[in-house]
Amino acid sequence: MKTKRKNALILVCLVLLGTSKLTFGQESPKLIDTEIASVAVVANQIDIDYAKIALKRSKNKEIIDFANRMIEDHKAVIQQAVALVEKLGVNPKDNAVSQSLLKQSKETLKTLKKASRKDFDKVYIDNEVAYHKAVIDAVNGLLIPEADNLELKSLLEAVVPALEVHLEHAKMVQTKI
Amino acid sequence: MLKWFKLKFKIEMQSHKSPVSKYLLPLALLVCGLILMVGFTNPDKLLNRNSNATTHTVTIFKMKYHPAHLNVKKGDTVVWINKDFFPHDVTEETTQKWTSKPFNQGEKWSKVVNEDIKYFCNLHRVMKGTITIIK
Repeated sequence: MKTKRKNALILVCLVLLGTSKLTFGQESPKLIDTEIASVAVVANQIDIDYAKIALKRSKNKEIIDFANRMIEDHKAVIQQAVALVEKLGVNPKDNAVSQSLLKQSKETLKTLKKASRKDFDKVYIDNEVAYHKAVIDAVNGLLIPEADNLELKSLLEAVVPALEVHLEHAKMVQTKI
Repeated sequence: MLKWFKLKFKIEMQSHKSPVSKYLLPLALLVCGLILMVGFTNPDKLLNRNSNATTHTVTIFKMKYHPAHLNVKKGDTVVWINKDFFPHDVTEETTQKWTSKPFNQGEKWSKVVNEDIKYFCNLHRVMKGTITIIK
């Protein structure tokens, strides 16, 4: 009985914590445009790094085609972002979100490198599905709402359909692995 | 009265100096007519092509073909224009029997359409479009 009550209390606390985090979560982390540009560059570079491992390790044509596509498309996004910050005369600014993305990616890179040859294709494409989902959510939920510069905002808005097409493409490859 | 008519007829006949000049004008008209008919006949018709062929434009923007579905007449031309900063292509979907090969932002590619087509972007395989021939 005592434990039940304790569990209920913990649950209530967790729910309260969850909702409060949700409410406050909309306001933080606050990013300025140069930080958003940094997040965009880092997020794209991470997927290029994953793809480069896939090119080294996979023999599957679907995976290789997908990885090549990721390298070319994400490079194109970085070029657009770099061209924009150059035009605006600013530099991408390192920040907590970029750092957290890089930290997570290091773990994933390790997993990709350690995966057995047999499992690699599945590990890679499963991660691509999860990563694109997470990035789409971050761009829609954080980067676009926080971007002040209209050109930066419209660049981010133009990237979302590409990420969605990549996600669908990744899911298609996933069914064949 | 009858005498007057006969006289007038005689005068008119005499005004034409020879049989050649008499037929010169109708002959010239006939030749001109023939030249017009032959010279200006639509070469499309001779080659059994669609003489009313028109050009349709498909814009590739934000990872979609706009419009994704197109109705055309046989022999019409379709032009695809890439407005994305990603490369795209136009590839026959079923057997990949033809492809535009990738083209970049601001570039275009065109094809004369003679049959129903299902196509996709071989780079981004979930991007798809269709073309239907209408009578």
